[in-house]
Amino acid sequence: MLWVALLPGKTDGTPQHDDLAGLAIWALQYTPRVALVEGAIVMEVAASLSLFGGRDALRERMAREAAELGAGPPAWSGTSLAAIALARAGVHDAGVDQPVAEALDPLPIAALPGIEPHEVTLRQIGCRSLGDLRRLPRGGVSRRFGAGLLHTLDRACGLRPETHAWVTAPETFSARLELMARVEMAPAMLFAARRLLLQMAGWLAARHAGITAFTLRWAHDSMRARDAAASGDLTVRTAEPMRDVEHLTRLLGENLARVRLAAPVAEIMLEALDVRPLAGQSASLIPDPVGEGEALALTLERIAARLGPDRVLRPTLLPDHRPGRMQRWQPALSRPGRRQPSLVKMPAPTFMLAEPLRLAMRGDRPMYQGPLLLLAGPHRIDGGWWHRETTDTGEVSRAVQRDYWVAVSEHCGVLWVYRERHPVDGAVWFLHGAFA
Amino acid sequence: MSAAAAWPIAPGSLPPAVAAAVWHGDQIASPAETVLPTGWSPLDRELPGGGWPHRALSEVLTPQPSMIEWRLMAPALRTVVAADRQIVVIGPPRQPHMPGLIHEGIDDRHLVLVDAEKPADRLWVTDQVIRSGAAGAVLAWLPHARPEQVRRLQVSAQGSDSPVFLFRPEAARHEPSAAPTRVLAVPGLDWTLRVSILKRRGPMHEGMLDLPSIPGGLAAVLTPRMRYPSRLFTRGAGRALGRAAARQDRRHAAA
Repeated sequence: MLWVALLPGKTDGTPQHDDLAGLAIWALQYTPRVALVEGAIVMEVAASLSLFGGRDALRERMAREAAELGAGPPAWSGTSLAAIALARAGVHDAGVDQPVAEALDPLPIAALPGIEPHEVTLRQIGCRSLGDLRRLPRGGVSRRFGAGLLHTLDRACGLRPETHAWVTAPETFSARLELMARVEMAPAMLFAARRLLLQMAGWLAARHAGITAFTLRWAHDSMRARDAAASGDLTVRTAEPMRDVEHLTRLLGENLARVRLAAPVAEIMLEALDVRPLAGQSASLIPDPVGEGEALALTLERIAARLGPDRVLRPTLLPDHRPGRMQRWQPALSRPGRRQPSLVKMPAPTFMLAEPLRLAMRGDRPMYQGPLLLLAGPHRIDGGWWHRETTDTGEVSRAVQRDYWVAVSEHCGVLWVYRERHPVDGAVWFLHGAFA
Repeated sequence: MSAAAAWPIAPGSLPPAVAAAVWHGDQIASPAETVLPTGWSPLDRELPGGGWPHRALSEVLTPQPSMIEWRLMAPALRTVVAADRQIVVIGPPRQPHMPGLIHEGIDDRHLVLVDAEKPADRLWVTDQVIRSGAAGAVLAWLPHARPEQVRRLQVSAQGSDSPVFLFRPEAARHEPSAAPTRVLAVPGLDWTLRVSILKRRGPMHEGMLDLPSIPGGLAAVLTPRMRYPSRLFTRGAGRALGRAAARQDRRHAAA
């Protein structure tokens, strides 16, 4: 048995129930055996050590995350009561390698939970440390203070079994946090929101799930202007289910950067919206490149969060043979549609102009940065009579009837130009692409 | 025990491992890092290690943007696609056109386009993609990047495993650049790319390399006469071709 105890952060007065429950949810990612005892979180982690890379790695990770959550440093010991006593006494580095009783002996008696009713009396009879208490004759202690005190002491020393009511992960996740100071800029909420994200990551790990959507809500200060709403919210979505705190924090940060607060914020709340099952990743001895695709997806997601989802694009081929309509760009993060085989067997340029550029003429010949040599062609592309689109100026036919030529220029490589009949000017030449 | 006995190497010579890591200025360096073969053996011979370097920037200078980029890169990118890795394209001046790229061996499942307009956004996106190290190749058009920004990207590239290509205007050749490889590429008339290596880890490269390249599936439609457009230009036969097209027009107009 190896127990870890955590005390919620130094708040004025008694610890809030919310703080403890949040800590417990975070702790569930390490072990299912988490309990609330006497205003502290205790968890039994002996079976989890190798999963988290050994005792030292787990201690380091817990200490780091506990600090981020605003809790006191974790204390380790062989029993849950001893771990709480060590945490209360502020001894965090002892208690792992020595017997429990030895670790407890130097602690002040106030550290042991459940001793409060007798604390004054014990101190008055000169019993200052738990070691002093243990050396008192058991019969006398039992008669004077009742059997409960001895039972507590025995449980702390591991001489008597402990029983706990385990905390279970709730079905849904929603956590709130009151900010220490009023926040006026949206990005400044990120620091506090990270605490809630850490809790959410713990909850997700405990449920073997990943998240694809979560909402951050904030309540505005009660002293706000009259026209400001009482609260605001921001929903963040990810392409793949995930529970990586770093990525979620960065994603939220990119989104918060674009939010303008209507009034100072006093309180924030995080809610998990869409939760999907997500298996943990097997660790590998040899670093494998399989995780790469995932990492690129994460990077693209972050870029899309800053620039907008319609700026990160993937091409889709369309079954059309009109140039400019053979492909469509769609957001890379959306689900790919059915793949269409390309109809094109003919030569095609590798760059296209968004709008064809009308070319100047010298005599009969089109010019683009000097004379163009029309090399191969014409390649007649004719079709789209069925295609009509409604625009502001009325219905427009998208039919094309063009003769394409491969043109060579001395200065700008190989170009794709076409000639089209024009109602007024006769034939007009356009530049449409480049074999670049 | 004397100092000489503790030091088994004679002064003036280096242990083999150290000697291999030292690059002499008169040789082409052979870096231990991996390279991406360019697809042209004459170019591979001139580049240290035999290809475009991974973990470093390669700057490609062209007189105009979107003129020969895919022709130069496609043979190398084909190996990236064959390895099932993604090509990330950042801020191209014109839209890449998949039907043409498929002819070059780049298919639509391996291409991601990031359409970033502002130079600062482009730099940020490029840096993010380089740092993730997850792209098979990064192609970025950064015409306005300043030398210190290129240096920063180079620092990021050193910690990442992707080959990174920056496309920049020819005018940038007079600016200092942190990229260890810089090439200038211009299209040749007779279906070639003329490439000169401005900077490499090795001695100065002189002259131009003529690399044969027929883009976008045109090889199938070129007649022997069309393989030498330069002759058509000089003989003025191009004008004849143009005139033929114009004559056709007049017939259309008359009809």
